[in-house]
Amino acid sequence: MSQRNPAATSLNASLFEGTSRQVRSLADEKIAITVEGLDLYYGDDQALKGISMKIPERRVTAFIGPSGCGKSTLLRCFNRMNDLVDSCRIEGAINLHGDNIYGRGTDVAELRRRVGMVFQKPNPFPKSIYENVAYGLRLQGVKNKRLLDEVVERSIKAVGLWDEVKDRLQSNAFGLSGGQQQRLVIARAIAIEPEVILLDEPTSALDPISTAKIEELMEELKEKYTILIVTHNMQQAARVSDYTAYMYLGELIEYADTMHLFTNPGQKATEDYITGRYG
Amino acid sequence: MENRRIGGHYSHRYDAELEEVVNRVLAMGGLVESQLSNALQAFIDGDSPVAQEVTENDTRVNTFEVTIDERCVEILARRQPAAMDLRLIVAVIKTITDLERIGDLAASIARMALRQAQGDRPRKQTFRDIETMGNRVIKMLGDALDAFARMDAAAAVTVVRQDFAIDSDHEAIMRQNVTYMMEDPRNISRMLDVTHATRALERVGDHARNMCEYTIYLVKGRDVRHIDLSEMEAIVEEKAGQGTEGTDL
Amino acid sequence: MREWWKSGSPWIWLNGGAVTISMIMVFGLLLLILVRGFGNFWPHAILETTYTHPDADTPVRVIGELRRSETLTAQSMRDAGVDIPGDQLLIERHLIKMGNRDVTNQDFGYFIDGFMDDWRYPEDIGVLERREWGDFMGYPLRLLEEGSTVAVGDELWPEFQRRLERSNNLYDEIRGIERGAIGRINFAIERVRLDERKAELRGALTDERRAELEQRREELQAEYRVLEEQLNRLYEAAARDGIVMRVADGQEVTIRLADIVKAWQPNNMSVLEKIGFYAKDFFDFIFGYPREANTEGGIFPAIFGTVVMVLVMSIIVTPFGILAAIYLREYARQGPILKTVRISVYNLAGVPSIVFGVFGLGFFVYFLGGAIDRTFYPEALPAPTFGTPGLFWASLTLALLTLPVVIVSTEEGLARIPSTIREGSLALGATKGETLWKVVVPLATPAMMTGLILAIARAAGEVAPLMLVGVVKLAPTLPVDGNFPFIHLERKIMHLGFHIYDVGFQSPHAEAAEQLVYATALILVLLIVVLNLTAITIRNHLREKYRAESD
Repeated sequence: MSQRNPAATSLNASLFEGTSRQVRSLADEKIAITVEGLDLYYGDDQALKGISMKIPERRVTAFIGPSGCGKSTLLRCFNRMNDLVDSCRIEGAINLHGDNIYGRGTDVAELRRRVGMVFQKPNPFPKSIYENVAYGLRLQGVKNKRLLDEVVERSIKAVGLWDEVKDRLQSNAFGLSGGQQQRLVIARAIAIEPEVILLDEPTSALDPISTAKIEELMEELKEKYTILIVTHNMQQAARVSDYTAYMYLGELIEYADTMHLFTNPGQKATEDYITGRYG
Repeated sequence: MENRRIGGHYSHRYDAELEEVVNRVLAMGGLVESQLSNALQAFIDGDSPVAQEVTENDTRVNTFEVTIDERCVEILARRQPAAMDLRLIVAVIKTITDLERIGDLAASIARMALRQAQGDRPRKQTFRDIETMGNRVIKMLGDALDAFARMDAAAAVTVVRQDFAIDSDHEAIMRQNVTYMMEDPRNISRMLDVTHATRALERVGDHARNMCEYTIYLVKGRDVRHIDLSEMEAIVEEKAGQGTEGTDL
Repeated sequence: MREWWKSGSPWIWLNGGAVTISMIMVFGLLLLILVRGFGNFWPHAILETTYTHPDADTPVRVIGELRRSETLTAQSMRDAGVDIPGDQLLIERHLIKMGNRDVTNQDFGYFIDGFMDDWRYPEDIGVLERREWGDFMGYPLRLLEEGSTVAVGDELWPEFQRRLERSNNLYDEIRGIERGAIGRINFAIERVRLDERKAELRGALTDERRAELEQRREELQAEYRVLEEQLNRLYEAAARDGIVMRVADGQEVTIRLADIVKAWQPNNMSVLEKIGFYAKDFFDFIFGYPREANTEGGIFPAIFGTVVMVLVMSIIVTPFGILAAIYLREYARQGPILKTVRISVYNLAGVPSIVFGVFGLGFFVYFLGGAIDRTFYPEALPAPTFGTPGLFWASLTLALLTLPVVIVSTEEGLARIPSTIREGSLALGATKGETLWKVVVPLATPAMMTGLILAIARAAGEVAPLMLVGVVKLAPTLPVDGNFPFIHLERKIMHLGFHIYDVGFQSPHAEAAEQLVYATALILVLLIVVLNLTAITIRNHLREKYRAESD
């Protein structure tokens, strides 16, 4: 009777005494994306300078930095959105689970199915809520109504929008509020089951409550997806991300565990940026 | 005070707010320091008016603690400080707790001085030892405050080292006291006060050490509590930012 | 004063003034057209008066409708050789429509005020609108059937109206047969001829085939003879009745009822009757066929021709313009060449329309049309099928004329679509084409409709180039009928704009035509308004459907 349950003891120990939270290390993570010596030029201007980094799987990695530092440009490299810019030239490599996405045989459409993206301003299509979410699947030629219904429902549920829209799936997506539209756009992105989701300042056009909902959503989504987020809101990066990269003038200045970066950054430049000082 | 580590925000008001907090901490430190030295003086000289003053001044110390706490909470709520600023606020909140304790200890020494003034005086030798130890403690507290004011981690480590001397003083005085008490049981109640005062001084040393640890945390961003001195020194000598640059990952 | 100047009020007044003047001009124009145009159908009172011209001794009796009055200086009349008494400085003269063109050779006349006597509005004066020779005004005397009197006095007018209705029914029947059955038979006979010629050209005209065609022709001729007989009977029946009318100078004239369209006694009508008459007249104008070199009757073929031409033009210009704009905006490589192309297209809008007409005639009609005739319709030669101005060429020329408008608006529409929407689609793995057709183009449809609206507005009002490429004064047939292939793109058409020009400036009876010009102009304006409103409604509907926050 006097013998105490060792499991309970250890549980108690971990709850009440705990151990100091070790700074997370990339060495312990599974790596989803590896960037190697990435240079990007717009005409003669170099927008990204020798970026090399490893992005862990099923974690939220945030990119912060002042305007024009290249963080959005870098984000757009991961699904080759920069291909749309004529004058853009890229050197170096990005490996997504071992495939070089700038390799010769890469099917860009296929890549973008693997790497979903959500933009700053909610950009639903001029279609019904249902068709917005089904869009990606229809592109892939899915016609089976049951399958579509199922995926649409699952995706909308995953973003916590189901109760708000289930009665008006056929009405125009423009009728939703900004925050709802943004969640719809995320549902649209996850409907095609990507491996990576890129978020380009996803909450900068939203009110704080919608922002909180999206942040909460990211917390859930990282169970299944690797998430990369660009944000101007440092507190947001601090709140949602596991790793944070600070960029400045096209260079990766510091890339570290978020907790570490926000309490004790290694670089003076990072420190100045996150504490709001001029360097 | 123009501090390189505090200033430089785009928001000048933010600079001013942080500076105000630091200045208040230093003012509080100054008050606590004088409280301690007055209490010690009163204890040694049996000067009851000074001792009286020290006990009365203790409320000022408490007020300092409360107002600085308020300011820190306000900065946390309004500014959401990060990195250095965040560590500064955390260090300040913890430092003032220790300072307040030191203030309490000074007040309790002063109360013992009041009791001593009414009865017989212990031997001269005892007071000399306590004075030596007390001066050491006061110096350590002053140095700790100095290290905090200059945000100097290296200075803080040297202050921590002073604690060893205080601890050995404490042990020596305790041994002596025990001897006196065994010599003459009538001394016991008097010597107990002396023991308490010595104990209080030793505690002040510990609090000063804590303050130094917060200063190191503030400067280095590393938690150096509950580790031994050599590790602490190693951390302080570490170059900033090592191992966190992106390309190294 | 300086204060006032600095306050910015003068600027506001200037702007407000410009708007006011524009509004006054637009509403003035519309009001003029409305008043004159709608006035045409009102049954005006008929006056009777005795007029003694200053130069003549004998007074004449005048029956007619007062059209307008004008004031002149007496001197100008004296200069014209009219003897006006010396003390008069100003004189007023009246333009009176007297009708009876066939009796007096003069259906309009100016009469000087002051020489007119005994001005009155007799109730029993009747006005007859005839199929030929314009209106007839006079006192009804007797109603004749096969030459013998059947009604006089009070019974006359009601009986006359009854018999007029019968005669009009007969007339409609005759027209029905002529236009319908006989038209169909003629069309079929022409087909037989063309089939024969086609077979001959191919060398496939065997005796057997020839006999077959001959038999078919015989059948059609027989059918035609039956109809002809039927027609003759109807003509006879229609010729039964007549009415004797007394004109102003006392002469009696007999008019066959078959020649009368409608008859009314304006001085004997209540306001309500007049309104009813007015509505019917307006209806006849819109749905009737023109008579008397377009100066009388309705304008239905012109309305129909205009609408069909605009529709065919829209069908041609919309896909071309939209595809061209999409290419220019989405696919073409932006550079100096594209810039040149774009400037050229935009400047095409500034080319005078008659130049398009000349181009249409030279290139479309003679070159393309000639080639089509030689290739597809050799049996009809030398009579041209497409090698002559017609509906299709008119529409094509207008399409060319309005193409820049559609291209420009579509391009604007495409440019306005936020790039984030395209990126959203691309980011889901859509190709550029998929993004365009599923997302971008639907969003740009309101802009495309705007382009089409502008194109329609321009095309419906265009006249000059059409005169060269397919619009005629009088088209014998409508471009759409019941004969295969139902829409005859090669046929010539009538057009409201050209109709206005023709009636107003090419007509022998300028006075009679004046009001018709206004009425036709009014219909043209209304037609354009209807076409535009339809397009705008569709556009607004689309806009609502694709409403984005940015709009």
